[in-house]
Amino acid sequence: MREFMHYITNAFYGATGWNEDNTYKALNATARELIDFPLPRGLRLTLSSLATPHFATSYQLGSVGIVDGSISYLHSSVPLTGVAARSDRIPLPALLRSYRRLHDLGAQERQWFWGADEPTAGPAAQTPAGVGASLDKYKSSLLYGRLYLPQSLLEGLVVRRFSPALQVQLSAVSERSLRNGGTLLGLVQYDKGKYGVEGLASTDGGLLGVRGLYNFGGDTSPQAVTPPAGQTYSESNGNGQSAERDRIYGRFSTGGEVYYGTLNKSGGMSLGARFATLPAHRGTPLTATLTINPLMGNIDASYAVLARDYCSLATRVEFNVYSYESEWAVGMELWSNRRPAGFLLGADPNSQPEPAPEPPKRKERSFEAKMEWRLDDPDPVAPEPFKTESEPASAGSKEEYRGVLKARLDQNMRIGLLWEGRLKSLIFSLGTGIDFRKLGEPFRSLGLEIQYSS
Amino acid sequence: MAFNFNWSPLTADADFYDRARDLLTTALNKSPKPPIIVDDILVTEFNLGSVPPDLEILEIGDLAEDRFRGIFKMCYSGDAFLTLKTRVQANPLNTYLSAKPGFTSPQPLAAASSLTIPLQITLSEIKLSAFIIVVFSKQKGLTLVFRNDPLESLKVSSTFDSIQFVRDYLQRTIEAKLRDLMMDELPAIIHRLSLQLWCPDQIPLYDEEPKEADEEHAVNPLATPPLDAVDANGQLVGSAAISELSLDGGPESQSLFSKKNLQRLSDLTGSQFTSSLFTPSVGDVMFRAWAGPSDKVDPANTPPLSTPNLVRTPSYTGSAHAYTFSDSGSQVNGSFASRPSLSSFNSATAGLALGSGRHNKAGRKKKMRVVNLRRKAETEANSEQGDEASEVSGPATPMSEPIMDHAVLEMPEEQSGLPSSSTNKVRFGRPSDLPQQPRRQSVRTEAFKASDAQVPSIKASDATVSSQVPLRLSEKPAPVSAANIAAADAKSDWKRSKPMSDTSSVILEQAWIMKMAGEIARRVYDEKNRNPAFWDDRDDAPPPAYEAR
Repeated sequence: MREFMHYITNAFYGATGWNEDNTYKALNATARELIDFPLPRGLRLTLSSLATPHFATSYQLGSVGIVDGSISYLHSSVPLTGVAARSDRIPLPALLRSYRRLHDLGAQERQWFWGADEPTAGPAAQTPAGVGASLDKYKSSLLYGRLYLPQSLLEGLVVRRFSPALQVQLSAVSERSLRNGGTLLGLVQYDKGKYGVEGLASTDGGLLGVRGLYNFGGDTSPQAVTPPAGQTYSESNGNGQSAERDRIYGRFSTGGEVYYGTLNKSGGMSLGARFATLPAHRGTPLTATLTINPLMGNIDASYAVLARDYCSLATRVEFNVYSYESEWAVGMELWSNRRPAGFLLGADPNSQPEPAPEPPKRKERSFEAKMEWRLDDPDPVAPEPFKTESEPASAGSKEEYRGVLKARLDQNMRIGLLWEGRLKSLIFSLGTGIDFRKLGEPFRSLGLEIQYSS
Repeated sequence: MAFNFNWSPLTADADFYDRARDLLTTALNKSPKPPIIVDDILVTEFNLGSVPPDLEILEIGDLAEDRFRGIFKMCYSGDAFLTLKTRVQANPLNTYLSAKPGFTSPQPLAAASSLTIPLQITLSEIKLSAFIIVVFSKQKGLTLVFRNDPLESLKVSSTFDSIQFVRDYLQRTIEAKLRDLMMDELPAIIHRLSLQLWCPDQIPLYDEEPKEADEEHAVNPLATPPLDAVDANGQLVGSAAISELSLDGGPESQSLFSKKNLQRLSDLTGSQFTSSLFTPSVGDVMFRAWAGPSDKVDPANTPPLSTPNLVRTPSYTGSAHAYTFSDSGSQVNGSFASRPSLSSFNSATAGLALGSGRHNKAGRKKKMRVVNLRRKAETEANSEQGDEASEVSGPATPMSEPIMDHAVLEMPEEQSGLPSSSTNKVRFGRPSDLPQQPRRQSVRTEAFKASDAQVPSIKASDATVSSQVPLRLSEKPAPVSAANIAAADAKSDWKRSKPMSDTSSVILEQAWIMKMAGEIARRVYDEKNRNPAFWDDRDDAPPPAYEAR
């Protein structure tokens, strides 16, 4: 589950038209989130609120043996009016879904202020009027601070947009146990759609880094970026007649990163490539990545697929050519539209007032089919979430999914199970880690997170 | 005399190497490892070699059939070797990130991917040169302590010998680590090994190092061993073992306590920490609360030397008094008597500070006898007491009569201006006003009994005191600096208390002091009231420290 503040920060990026996925850091985010999802530990309660469109607060209380907590505040210079912040309204996929679809590169810097104005042609984004109207909005900034209480650890984040393509992030941690009392990380992000470059500097060890991502193929090719081309794609999708559209249609991205610690005289680097299908692709959405660390001889390949809209799968294989060590892991995500309470208490789904009585039955069968890997039940509602996900605000009223089950397994026979969903107006996340190697006490961790926001 | 050290039987024992390997492995994995080491450190090979170390006997402190204590000079340049195996993280970025907070992590995509490399390190050509203190006893096993840093040089060869930088780094790091191991861990390891050899029954008890509770006993506890005697570790000691023990056995000497009494004493101590009203009854022990003024001690033994202290105390009438009663019952050398010391300050705040300090620490710290006679201006802080006390407890000079006289003579001058010495008397007469140690541990019954003979008597007759005081007043004192007086007086105090070092009873002495001081104060007050003229023309050259404020 993404934390509320993370969700609000994402909403800020969405409101300012910043594509946070267009960096090298997020190259394999899909597989990572499907496989390496964090498991909650202990009990954790979060009480959050988007008090005004500019201001959000969040209080967290946790207990893992000892009671701890945190207080966080967030201020955005951009009003986050359209954001569903109440926990009974938040679209669950925005909070829980791991599979990331590619954003439209051409539209990412226009969608925000063109939502109000009338949309024009793509290359006309640099028209003086449009820029003038949006210039002050591009000067948006976000301030975020969080204080962990017993540890007195302070986190701070400043995000500032300077131009449509330039954004600076400054994050800092202050704690007594750290060397020099804390660290500071500066991140300069330059995103031109077709390519994105980041430079970073950390006070810790004097680390400097550069990473970049370059997109090619698919919609970034010159003829594809024009609106008529996009229209033909969608039109052909609608028709479903053209055989050439059946072939995989996606975008290639490639990039690399270099780090160097000026104080400890050490460094690191990696190269990576990704292929991901675009939303316009008709077939199964998939993402495949390959990263190579030439210094350490590490090769990492991952493959994630959105098999159905309620089912995502991912695998990852790592191999080191120097030490011959290898690792594999698989992850899975299953969405359910049943009530979580029905799961929990075995209650009659008919007691739920809103939905029609018959859909739960059908969903129940389909879920069983999913569990048995028998996908023979064609789900009539499967195509719908495409629309709901593209417009999360409207999806809040008529929500499809109520819970998601995530599971992972790695080569050490460790299983992570996470079940997240909504119970009335609470969003919960129940997770456990199981180690089959140690059958004496297989449960390595158990945790429950409850989030309420208003 | 000849010693026969066998080196080869150690190595001939097949089990020995296994045990030593296990012990070394656990010792190496005990402390938290740096993030660069991602696996346990395993000792795969360990060999002591065939060349024994050269031992040169410097001193033998104790020698008997079952115990030995000596100091050696050891030189070793043999063929022992040690091979360690572990796995290290070769990616510097990975180790860099592992200790950093995630919020400011640069979050590299794959640049921090881990590469673990098995590492094998062989330590050989170890050259040692050290002074070793060896203490052996059958009860406590073998203790071996290095007097200095024993490691002279060693050769580190590893998987990365071809890389100069890594080799140097490893050499440096391992040398430092090994020095730590030699100084801290090796004595413990050897101790455990020896325990396994000689007294396997004591091993579980040695999780904590034995406390050095032995030395504080100068009393012979073996004269009347308790029925259920236990040693310092709470282990039962049989009567046969008791008879074997000797008092002057150095570190091996066992202290014997009655287990029941120990239990009760610890209950009693524990009850002071809480608000528990439970008071266990400890046999043969007199509690301070019972020790009122009515406690009579042997009248025959009245050392007049203790009077100066007491005579002087009322002279600070009107000023704030702080009495620090030191408890030396728990002192290591046991030579200090449990004897209250008085310290006076001219300001109430100083007195208060002392009082509060008493609540915190006075009951537990190793006490110093502090007699602070300086004025407020000269006493900077309480901390100075420590310095002064340390110098006070220096070598004892023989008591000299004039010094005592000066000390006595201060009294009337102060007294003259301030006729309200009765407050002091009240203070002394009321035991509840007196500072008391919150906990008085090691109230030893033996000490208490023996104290009857030597504790100064309360029966110091009033007549003696009163006659003494004016008699000394008639002498002309030379101006003596207050510090001198303080030091000298403290010395005298120390000196006087030394004879009854092991036998003094704090309780009785305090009671006696209370009574004496009250009595003297009253006498002086009466005397002054009766004959003010005598007090006025008494002295015109007061010691500078006691000039009127």
